[in-house]
Amino acid sequence: MSLKPPVGVQRLPRGPDPNSRGFDRSSPRFIALCPTSIPSSASTDPGIEEEQRVRSELRERFLRTLLMMTDKPVQFNMYEKVQVPARFGASDIDILNFHVSDLETPLGVQKEALLRCQDVISCSFEL
Amino acid sequence: MKWRDMNPLEWREFINHEVCVTACDEQRFEGSLFTVDPVSASVVLVSFQETGRASVRVILGHAVREVQILRSGSEETESRMKGLILPDTTPSLCPEELQSRRENLRLWLERNRFPVTEDGQDLRVASVLTISAPYRPEDCSCTNEIILARVQRLLQNQPYGPTITDDRSRD
Repeated sequence: MSLKPPVGVQRLPRGPDPNSRGFDRSSPRFIALCPTSIPSSASTDPGIEEEQRVRSELRERFLRTLLMMTDKPVQFNMYEKVQVPARFGASDIDILNFHVSDLETPLGVQKEALLRCQDVISCSFEL
Repeated sequence: MKWRDMNPLEWREFINHEVCVTACDEQRFEGSLFTVDPVSASVVLVSFQETGRASVRVILGHAVREVQILRSGSEETESRMKGLILPDTTPSLCPEELQSRRENLRLWLERNRFPVTEDGQDLRVASVLTISAPYRPEDCSCTNEIILARVQRLLQNQPYGPTITDDRSRD
Protein backbone atom coordinates (compact mmCIF):
# COMPACT_ATOMS: atom_id res chain seq x y z
CA MET A 1 0.00 0.00 0.00
CA SER A 2 1.66 3.26 -1.09
CA LEU A 3 1.58 6.16 1.35
CA LYS A 4 -0.90 8.72 0.11
CA PRO A 5 0.02 12.34 0.78
CA PRO A 6 -2.16 13.93 3.46
CA VAL A 7 -4.57 16.62 2.28
CA GLY A 8 -4.94 19.96 4.01
CA VAL A 9 -7.71 20.32 6.57
CA GLN A 10 -10.77 21.93 5.03
CA ARG A 11 -12.53 24.34 7.31
CA LEU A 12 -16.24 24.66 6.68
CA PRO A 13 -17.94 28.03 7.22
CA ARG A 14 -19.56 28.56 10.61
CA GLY A 15 -23.17 27.52 11.00
CA PRO A 16 -25.99 30.01 11.54
CA ASP A 17 -25.81 29.88 15.35
CA PRO A 18 -22.43 31.25 16.45
CA ASN A 19 -22.69 29.76 19.93
CA SER A 20 -23.57 26.14 19.49
CA ARG A 21 -22.14 24.64 16.25
CA GLY A 22 -24.70 21.90 16.67
CA PHE A 23 -23.28 20.71 19.98
CA ASP A 24 -25.78 22.73 22.02
CA ARG A 25 -27.98 20.17 23.74
CA SER A 26 -31.06 22.36 23.48
CA SER A 27 -30.65 23.06 19.77
CA PRO A 28 -33.38 21.65 17.49
CA ARG A 29 -30.72 19.78 15.49
CA PHE A 30 -29.36 17.97 18.52
CA ILE A 31 -32.83 17.11 19.82
CA ALA A 32 -33.81 15.75 16.42
CA LEU A 33 -30.66 13.59 16.25
CA CYS A 34 -30.49 12.51 19.83
CA PRO A 35 -33.49 12.00 22.09
CA THR A 36 -33.14 13.94 25.33
CA SER A 37 -34.24 10.94 27.32
CA ILE A 38 -34.16 7.22 26.71
CA PRO A 39 -37.53 5.46 26.93
CA SER A 40 -37.84 3.05 29.80
CA SER A 41 -40.48 1.50 32.02
CA ALA A 42 -42.00 3.65 34.76
CA SER A 43 -39.88 3.82 37.91
CA THR A 44 -42.75 2.22 39.80
CA ASP A 45 -42.78 -0.78 37.48
CA PRO A 46 -41.64 -3.95 39.31
CA GLY A 47 -39.36 -4.93 36.40
CA ILE A 48 -37.43 -1.65 36.43
CA GLU A 49 -34.46 -2.98 38.42
CA GLU A 50 -33.88 -5.87 36.06
CA GLU A 51 -34.30 -3.55 33.07
CA GLN A 52 -31.69 -1.16 34.47
CA ARG A 53 -29.31 -4.01 35.25
CA VAL A 54 -29.59 -5.34 31.69
CA ARG A 55 -29.25 -1.82 30.28
CA SER A 56 -25.96 -1.34 32.21
CA GLU A 57 -24.61 -4.70 31.10
CA LEU A 58 -25.45 -4.06 27.44
CA ARG A 59 -23.93 -0.58 27.56
CA GLU A 60 -20.76 -1.82 29.29
CA ARG A 61 -20.29 -4.49 26.59
CA PHE A 62 -20.73 -1.83 23.90
CA LEU A 63 -18.28 0.60 25.53
CA ARG A 64 -15.71 -2.19 25.86
CA THR A 65 -16.19 -2.97 22.16
CA LEU A 66 -15.42 0.69 21.35
CA LEU A 67 -12.37 0.47 23.64
CA MET A 68 -11.11 -2.57 21.72
CA MET A 69 -11.61 -0.63 18.47
CA THR A 70 -9.44 2.29 19.64
CA ASP A 71 -6.25 2.87 17.60
CA LYS A 72 -7.07 -0.06 15.34
CA PRO A 73 -7.55 0.10 11.57
CA VAL A 74 -11.29 0.09 10.94
CA GLN A 75 -13.25 -0.15 7.69
CA PHE A 76 -16.18 2.29 7.65
CA ASN A 77 -19.11 1.25 5.52
CA MET A 78 -21.09 4.38 4.63
CA TYR A 79 -24.04 5.18 2.38
CA GLU A 80 -23.75 5.06 -1.44
CA LYS A 81 -21.47 1.99 -1.13
CA VAL A 82 -18.64 4.18 0.18
CA GLN A 83 -16.02 2.17 2.08
CA VAL A 84 -13.26 4.11 3.81
CA PRO A 85 -10.50 2.77 6.03
CA ALA A 86 -9.28 4.82 9.00
CA ARG A 87 -7.81 4.47 12.47
CA PHE A 88 -10.53 4.71 15.12
CA GLY A 89 -9.94 7.33 17.81
CA ALA A 90 -13.00 7.90 19.95
CA SER A 91 -16.76 8.24 20.01
CA ASP A 92 -18.92 10.77 21.80
CA ILE A 93 -21.24 9.62 24.56
CA ASP A 94 -24.38 9.52 22.39
CA ILE A 95 -22.67 7.71 19.50
CA LEU A 96 -23.31 10.65 17.18
CA ASN A 97 -19.72 11.32 16.04
CA PHE A 98 -16.58 9.23 15.61
CA HIS A 99 -13.13 10.79 15.73
CA VAL A 100 -10.80 9.00 13.32
CA SER A 101 -7.23 9.46 12.08
CA ASP A 102 -5.64 8.82 8.67
CA LEU A 103 -8.97 8.58 6.90
CA GLU A 104 -8.29 7.36 3.34
CA THR A 105 -10.68 9.13 1.00
CA PRO A 106 -10.65 9.44 -2.81
CA LEU A 107 -9.34 12.99 -2.25
CA GLY A 108 -6.40 11.78 -0.21
CA VAL A 109 -5.61 10.97 3.40
CA GLN A 110 -7.29 13.18 6.02
CA LYS A 111 -5.00 13.29 9.04
CA GLU A 112 -7.88 13.78 11.49
CA ALA A 113 -11.59 13.65 10.78
CA LEU A 114 -14.95 13.57 12.50
CA LEU A 115 -17.40 11.10 10.99
CA ARG A 116 -21.09 11.67 11.63
CA CYS A 117 -22.58 8.38 12.79
CA GLN A 118 -25.71 9.22 10.83
CA ASP A 119 -23.60 8.74 7.69
CA VAL A 120 -22.12 5.43 8.82
CA ILE A 121 -23.98 2.18 8.28
CA SER A 122 -21.45 -0.12 9.91
CA CYS A 123 -17.78 -0.42 10.73
CA SER A 124 -15.63 -3.51 11.12
CA PHE A 125 -12.24 -4.44 12.52
CA GLU A 126 -10.20 -7.50 13.38
CA LEU A 127 -9.04 -8.82 16.72
CA MET B 1 -41.67 -3.79 16.10
CA LYS B 2 -38.96 -1.30 15.23
CA TRP B 3 -35.50 -2.30 16.46
CA ARG B 4 -34.85 1.11 18.06
CA ASP B 5 -38.10 0.95 20.03
CA MET B 6 -37.31 -2.28 21.81
CA ASN B 7 -36.37 -2.24 25.47
CA PRO B 8 -33.19 -3.77 26.96
CA LEU B 9 -34.97 -6.95 28.04
CA GLU B 10 -36.15 -7.55 24.48
CA TRP B 11 -32.66 -6.87 23.08
CA ARG B 12 -31.20 -9.29 25.59
CA GLU B 13 -33.13 -12.10 23.92
CA PHE B 14 -30.73 -11.84 20.94
CA ILE B 15 -27.47 -11.90 22.91
CA ASN B 16 -25.00 -14.68 22.05
CA HIS B 17 -27.18 -16.08 19.26
CA GLU B 18 -26.16 -16.26 15.63
CA VAL B 19 -28.16 -13.59 13.85
CA CYS B 20 -28.64 -12.02 10.44
CA VAL B 21 -28.91 -8.24 10.49
CA THR B 22 -30.51 -6.53 7.49
CA ALA B 23 -29.27 -2.97 7.12
CA CYS B 24 -31.20 -0.09 5.57
CA ASP B 25 -29.28 -0.42 2.28
CA GLU B 26 -30.35 -4.09 2.00
CA GLN B 27 -26.90 -5.40 3.02
CA ARG B 28 -27.00 -8.46 5.24
CA PHE B 29 -24.52 -9.17 8.01
CA GLU B 30 -24.21 -12.43 9.94
CA GLY B 31 -22.46 -13.21 13.16
CA SER B 32 -22.87 -13.87 16.85
CA LEU B 33 -24.54 -10.96 18.59
CA PHE B 34 -22.31 -9.65 21.38
CA THR B 35 -24.39 -6.69 22.50
CA VAL B 36 -26.89 -3.99 21.61
CA ASP B 37 -26.06 -0.45 22.73
CA PRO B 38 -29.08 0.80 24.71
CA VAL B 39 -28.27 4.42 23.78
CA SER B 40 -27.98 4.07 20.00
CA ALA B 41 -29.49 0.58 19.44
CA SER B 42 -26.27 -0.32 17.58
CA VAL B 43 -25.59 -4.03 17.14
CA VAL B 44 -22.18 -5.65 17.67
CA LEU B 45 -21.58 -8.89 15.76
CA VAL B 46 -18.56 -11.18 16.18
CA SER B 47 -17.43 -13.84 13.70
CA PHE B 48 -14.58 -16.21 14.42
CA GLN B 49 -12.55 -17.14 11.36
CA GLU B 50 -10.63 -20.34 10.69
CA THR B 51 -7.39 -18.34 10.98
CA GLY B 52 -8.21 -17.91 14.66
CA ARG B 53 -8.76 -14.18 14.28
CA ALA B 54 -12.10 -12.62 15.04
CA SER B 55 -13.92 -10.08 12.94
CA VAL B 56 -16.07 -7.57 14.85
CA ARG B 57 -18.72 -5.46 13.16
CA VAL B 58 -20.68 -2.58 14.69
CA ILE B 59 -23.91 -1.80 12.83
CA LEU B 60 -25.22 1.62 13.81
CA GLY B 61 -28.69 1.54 15.33
CA HIS B 62 -30.23 3.97 12.85
CA ALA B 63 -29.22 1.62 10.00
CA VAL B 64 -30.69 -1.59 11.46
CA ARG B 65 -33.83 -2.67 9.62
CA GLU B 66 -34.26 -6.19 10.92
CA VAL B 67 -32.52 -8.72 13.15
CA GLN B 68 -33.30 -12.42 12.72
CA ILE B 69 -32.05 -15.26 14.89
CA LEU B 70 -30.55 -17.97 12.68
CA ARG B 71 -29.19 -20.39 15.26
CA SER B 72 -28.94 -20.58 19.02
CA GLY B 73 -25.62 -19.55 20.45
CA SER B 74 -23.43 -21.97 22.35
CA GLU B 75 -21.73 -21.44 25.69
CA GLU B 76 -18.40 -21.80 23.91
CA THR B 77 -19.14 -18.88 21.57
CA GLU B 78 -20.35 -16.81 24.50
CA SER B 79 -17.16 -17.33 26.52
CA ARG B 80 -14.97 -16.79 23.42
CA MET B 81 -16.65 -13.43 22.73
CA LYS B 82 -16.42 -12.36 26.35
CA GLY B 83 -12.76 -13.41 26.50
CA LEU B 84 -12.12 -11.34 23.39
CA ILE B 85 -13.68 -8.07 24.45
CA LEU B 86 -14.24 -8.01 28.21
CA PRO B 87 -11.25 -7.49 30.51
CA ASP B 88 -9.71 -10.42 32.35
CA THR B 89 -11.69 -11.47 35.37
CA THR B 90 -9.99 -11.03 38.73
CA PRO B 91 -6.82 -13.11 38.83
CA SER B 92 -7.04 -15.35 41.84
CA LEU B 93 -4.72 -14.11 44.55
CA CYS B 94 -4.46 -15.74 47.93
CA PRO B 95 -6.21 -14.01 50.83
CA GLU B 96 -2.91 -12.95 52.46
CA GLU B 97 -1.73 -11.29 49.24
CA LEU B 98 -5.08 -9.49 48.86
CA GLN B 99 -4.99 -8.45 52.51
CA SER B 100 -1.51 -6.95 52.20
CA ARG B 101 -2.37 -5.18 48.94
CA ARG B 102 -5.45 -3.69 50.55
CA GLU B 103 -3.47 -2.56 53.58
CA ASN B 104 -0.70 -1.05 51.42
CA LEU B 105 -3.28 0.81 49.37
CA ARG B 106 -5.10 2.06 52.43
CA LEU B 107 -1.87 3.49 53.84
CA TRP B 108 -0.97 5.03 50.47
CA LEU B 109 -4.37 6.73 50.27
CA GLU B 110 -4.12 8.02 53.83
CA ARG B 111 -0.59 9.33 53.18
CA ASN B 112 -2.11 11.29 50.31
CA ARG B 113 -4.84 12.75 52.53
CA PHE B 114 -7.74 10.67 51.18
CA PRO B 115 -10.22 9.51 53.84
CA VAL B 116 -10.53 5.76 53.46
CA THR B 117 -12.50 3.10 55.30
CA GLU B 118 -12.71 -0.64 54.93
CA ASP B 119 -16.02 -2.08 53.74
CA GLY B 120 -15.64 -5.83 53.85
CA GLN B 121 -13.21 -6.74 51.07
CA ASP B 122 -13.54 -3.27 49.51
CA LEU B 123 -12.01 0.07 50.33
CA ARG B 124 -14.32 3.11 50.40
CA VAL B 125 -12.68 6.41 49.59
CA ALA B 126 -14.43 9.59 50.78
CA SER B 127 -17.68 7.55 50.91
CA VAL B 128 -18.09 7.95 47.15
CA LEU B 129 -15.55 5.66 45.51
CA THR B 130 -15.18 1.92 45.94
CA ILE B 131 -12.04 -0.11 45.25
CA SER B 132 -12.55 -3.87 45.05
CA ALA B 133 -10.00 -6.68 44.87
CA PRO B 134 -7.34 -6.87 43.50
CA TYR B 135 -7.16 -3.09 43.99
CA ARG B 136 -5.87 -2.02 40.58
CA PRO B 137 -6.84 1.30 38.95
CA GLU B 138 -9.46 -0.52 36.87
CA ASP B 139 -11.09 -1.88 40.03
CA CYS B 140 -12.23 1.59 41.11
CA SER B 141 -15.87 2.56 40.73
CA CYS B 142 -17.39 5.97 41.35
CA THR B 143 -20.22 8.03 39.93
CA ASN B 144 -18.05 11.15 39.75
CA GLU B 145 -15.56 10.95 36.89
CA ILE B 146 -13.26 13.66 38.26
CA ILE B 147 -12.78 11.90 41.58
CA LEU B 148 -12.41 8.60 39.74
CA ALA B 149 -9.64 9.96 37.53
CA ARG B 150 -7.75 11.43 40.49
CA VAL B 151 -7.86 8.25 42.52
CA GLN B 152 -6.92 6.10 39.51
CA ARG B 153 -3.92 8.33 38.88
CA LEU B 154 -2.94 7.97 42.51
CA LEU B 155 -3.17 4.18 42.26
CA GLN B 156 -0.99 4.25 39.15
CA ASN B 157 1.65 6.20 41.09
CA GLN B 158 1.55 3.84 44.05
CA PRO B 159 5.13 2.74 44.81
CA TYR B 160 5.74 -1.00 44.73
CA GLY B 161 8.02 -3.11 46.89
CA PRO B 162 7.69 -4.40 50.43
CA THR B 163 4.95 -3.12 52.72
CA ILE B 164 4.75 0.66 53.01
CA THR B 165 5.58 1.39 56.61
CA ASP B 166 3.23 3.65 58.46
CA ASP B 167 5.71 6.45 59.15
CA ARG B 168 3.36 8.73 61.09
CA SER B 169 5.53 8.23 64.15
CA ARG B 170 8.53 9.63 62.29
CA ASP B 171 6.85 12.94 61.39
